[in-house]
Amino acid sequence: MKFILNGTEVEYTGALNARLLDVLRDEYRLTGVKCGCREGECGSCSVIMDGILTNSCLVAMGRAEGSTIVTIEGYSNTERFRALDKAYADVSAVQCGFCIPGMILASECILAKNPHPTEAEIRVGISGNLCRCTGYNAIVHAIDIAAKEGSGLW
Amino acid sequence: MVNSYLAGSLKEALEIRARETVRPYGGGTDLMIEGAEDAVYLFIGKIPELKQIIVDDTYIRIGAECTFTEIIDNDLIPEMLKNACSGIGGPAIRNLGTVGGNIANGSPKADSALIFFVTDSMLRLVSTRGERLLPVREFYLGKKKTALQSDELIAEVLLPRADYKNYYYKKIGARNAQAISRVSFAGLMTFSDGRIASCATAFGSVSDVIIRRDDIDAIMTGKTIAEASAAKSAYIAAYDEAIIPISGRISAEYRKAVCMNLLVDFLESNGI
Repeated sequence: MKFILNGTEVEYTGALNARLLDVLRDEYRLTGVKCGCREGECGSCSVIMDGILTNSCLVAMGRAEGSTIVTIEGYSNTERFRALDKAYADVSAVQCGFCIPGMILASECILAKNPHPTEAEIRVGISGNLCRCTGYNAIVHAIDIAAKEGSGLW
Repeated sequence: MVNSYLAGSLKEALEIRARETVRPYGGGTDLMIEGAEDAVYLFIGKIPELKQIIVDDTYIRIGAECTFTEIIDNDLIPEMLKNACSGIGGPAIRNLGTVGGNIANGSPKADSALIFFVTDSMLRLVSTRGERLLPVREFYLGKKKTALQSDELIAEVLLPRADYKNYYYKKIGARNAQAISRVSFAGLMTFSDGRIASCATAFGSVSDVIIRRDDIDAIMTGKTIAEASAAKSAYIAAYDEAIIPISGRISAEYRKAVCMNLLVDFLESNGI
């Protein structure tokens, strides 16, 4: 089966019931995709699959056939990433960093669907991404800043 | 190596389903938690015939492989169902999880299934032998036991076109997001000429199967608010007897108390 990974078509010949999370990390060495819980609770393995936020731990490879998948490695080459990166840095929204690849991709999906979200909408948008350091307020603030300063990018 | 199957069309999927012993894989959000390495999946999540939402004279027809996000974003879907789907998991779970999977999983905690119970929805089940329509209530046979045959797939959920504006829905969980229901409740009441035209309730996460007792709800039908208020204690007593909760992580006593509180709140919200 084939799928598009960070803009490049790849051919996958392994088991169709392997986890996308494991395949991305072990086969493609995309270790920005973090493994936290393996049961869809924590969001640290988030990728963008066909334009929507997806827990890669809950995807068997067969489900990814023909899909377009973007990980933090692919996303970090974009203008939008730079706007989010700056906003997160400006308000110190990153502490240990383990949740951040997923959190950034969740931020992207919030803004792609709704470029001017309310605080409540931001909180719903990151509600599947756990962060044990920041208490979330700085992250919510960073997404709000990115929406304003990155206006026009989304 | 254990094989899994990709199907591009419903016809192809049904042929594989008839021939092989497979686990239908929709969104995978429940199956991948088990993550059995020897599982043989039939991937049906992208089959176009299973992803439509359309309306006919009688039903809103929801393709079984529609995700919760697709349901929430669709203008044809009543607010009550959107509300219940919005409380499932988090955004990424809603992006993958499907109504067909939520039902086929056979759990009384399925948040979308609760709405299909209270609305007396039907399921369209298909196989290479043909198709059949089954009320969602008859689909559930017990804990994790359903009426789905080994060669069948759920094709559509048929939600009757009706007035769902006056709905009551509450999910009680440990938190707002990423929470499995501890108790969930849905109620519907319609009025005509000052009388209750219809009353329907459903209780989720309480028993092995979602509780839907139209025989008890019939107590309220045809009554004015004053008459319904007079019948209120009999109605509540009937449910008090009918609801025998299971205990697990949550005690049976807690579940029972919450069920009765929600039922009373539903009545009070309708002035009864």
